[in-house]
Amino acid sequence: MDFLIHHMLRRSAARFPEKEAVVHGNRRLSYTQVLQACRSFAFQLRSAGIARGDRVGIYLDPSVEQVLSIFSISTAGGVYVPINTVLVPDQVAHIVRDCGMKALITTPEKLETLAPALRDASPLQFFVATGNTNGHAAESTLPVHRMQEMLAASVDGDWQDWGISQDLAAILYTSGSTGKPKGVMLSHANVMAGSTIVSTYLEISERERILAVLPFSFDAGMNQLMTAFQQGGTIVLIKFVFAKQIIDALLTEHITGLAGVPTVWSLLANGGILKHSFPDLRYITNTGGAMPQAVLKVLRQALTATKIFLMYGLTEAFRSTYLPPEELDRRPTSMGKAIPDTEILVLNEAGGCCKSGEVGELVHRGPTVSMGYWGNPEATNRVLKPNPLLPPELGNCEKVCYSGDLVKMDEDGFLYYVGRRDAMIKSSGYRISPTEVEEILFQTGKIRQAAAIGIPDEVLGQTVKAFVVAKDGADLDCDYIQAYCLEKMPRHMVPKHFEIMSELPKTSSGKVDYPALRRREGL
Amino acid sequence: MGTSVATNSNAASRIRDFVLQTFPLARKRNVAGSTDLLETGVIDSMGVLDLVGFLQQEFAITVEDDDLTPENFRSIDCMAEFLQRRLVSQHRSVASA
Repeated sequence: MDFLIHHMLRRSAARFPEKEAVVHGNRRLSYTQVLQACRSFAFQLRSAGIARGDRVGIYLDPSVEQVLSIFSISTAGGVYVPINTVLVPDQVAHIVRDCGMKALITTPEKLETLAPALRDASPLQFFVATGNTNGHAAESTLPVHRMQEMLAASVDGDWQDWGISQDLAAILYTSGSTGKPKGVMLSHANVMAGSTIVSTYLEISERERILAVLPFSFDAGMNQLMTAFQQGGTIVLIKFVFAKQIIDALLTEHITGLAGVPTVWSLLANGGILKHSFPDLRYITNTGGAMPQAVLKVLRQALTATKIFLMYGLTEAFRSTYLPPEELDRRPTSMGKAIPDTEILVLNEAGGCCKSGEVGELVHRGPTVSMGYWGNPEATNRVLKPNPLLPPELGNCEKVCYSGDLVKMDEDGFLYYVGRRDAMIKSSGYRISPTEVEEILFQTGKIRQAAAIGIPDEVLGQTVKAFVVAKDGADLDCDYIQAYCLEKMPRHMVPKHFEIMSELPKTSSGKVDYPALRRREGL
Repeated sequence: MGTSVATNSNAASRIRDFVLQTFPLARKRNVAGSTDLLETGVIDSMGVLDLVGFLQQEFAITVEDDDLTPENFRSIDCMAEFLQRRLVSQHRSVASA
């Protein structure tokens, strides 16, 4: 019986031992090779001290090592924490501390960059480094194990799994409307349900060759890896900067499936996709924000043999809705309907179901509802609540996920996005907390008041605009502030626009009046 | 004529200034003309768009879809060479018009 994430690998290795499992550049590993490497690595992780439920971070660019790490940590009984490599050292350090990370897998170069930020109060006990490295990282006294040696080690004796499907498998860090990123906890059952459901409606089979352009720290990116390994397909990894690199990979690797966020599609639509044909490309999926209609038009023109699925999901519930390709002409702006084995409710303030056309909050029920936020029961209780529609006799047996997204449903049950209930900003698929941006603005020491809001952007969905008030009498150099931000946050968080004000608008209770700032922008 | 065609080293130093100013990782690593900016993650897909904007505005060249390749943008030296080729070809097409 398959009930843990690495059981999917085991099963595919039994069905297709010699088949290509993972491809990155010139490196091609079969399912048997992946399975063997993961067994060795898992064995070595346990020997190095990883116990059941221990968190192990993965801070790697797209690479074979990244895939091996995920399945090895699962095999060892640990919890994998994929960290997006666009994050800066301070943010990585937050994740390390927040989840009490025991080990971190990274490259020697990245380790050198991270070491100063990880010096104080780090729960880490050891590093695993890819490539060539000596026994210790600069500025760190922790041992550094070589991944190459761990992958090649022999495994003695019988292997025993420790966990069950309800155990924590992964933590994905994501931002909300306030504070620092929170860790969304996914069980083995969550991740496997997600890949079964998505494989069902995308009809993913062992013939699939999926190009992974989204990071595995995104639920949609991780889901691509899981569906490929569950079905015995092939995952092709790529680190891209240019549209041409994606196009070349689509053609030379005979890619059949591609998932992207709107920025990826804009890049492709403006990057010569119309000059090629893609007979192998069976489907594409969009998530992480609405696809601009102009971009969708170019894609439909270029990808005549390809089914286009528009999807919606939030990390807290993994995946939620999709628009079947045949509905694209009739409802191009819809988010679609619930994915299989999932029910999407639109609830009003009173907790009742909205009538068609009435705006309410999207509430998700189904097997991909996450376990909540790591170490943060208050925040968890705000998002995961008892299903208000269950008969009282059932008690509080089921938690549903309140998305914070305002939507409406048409008479045929199709959903349409309206906006956010809170102040969270979303840019190029990333969730951005305004308070995290504001905290960094305050760190410049030059600002007395700051407020960040999202303003519409054709390609990115939203970009960040910051309203700032200088400390008394100081002249504010916005170029300096922006340069400071570039040091302290990833590019998607950095405000594109600044406005210097003498005072921010306030509510009667003395808080920043965000709606007034949005009205200034005509929003 | 030819005064608008920047000398290669001058162009390279202007591109380097822009790269250092725009990409914090470039400052941290103190990148040289030959440093691979793509492999080291200094420039991502969004960063390329900033660079294209800079080259178009600063040197009055047009950057086409087909120009957006790793070969043209891998390093400061690569960008300077690409810029030089583009300036020369634009200059020729103006001269022959």
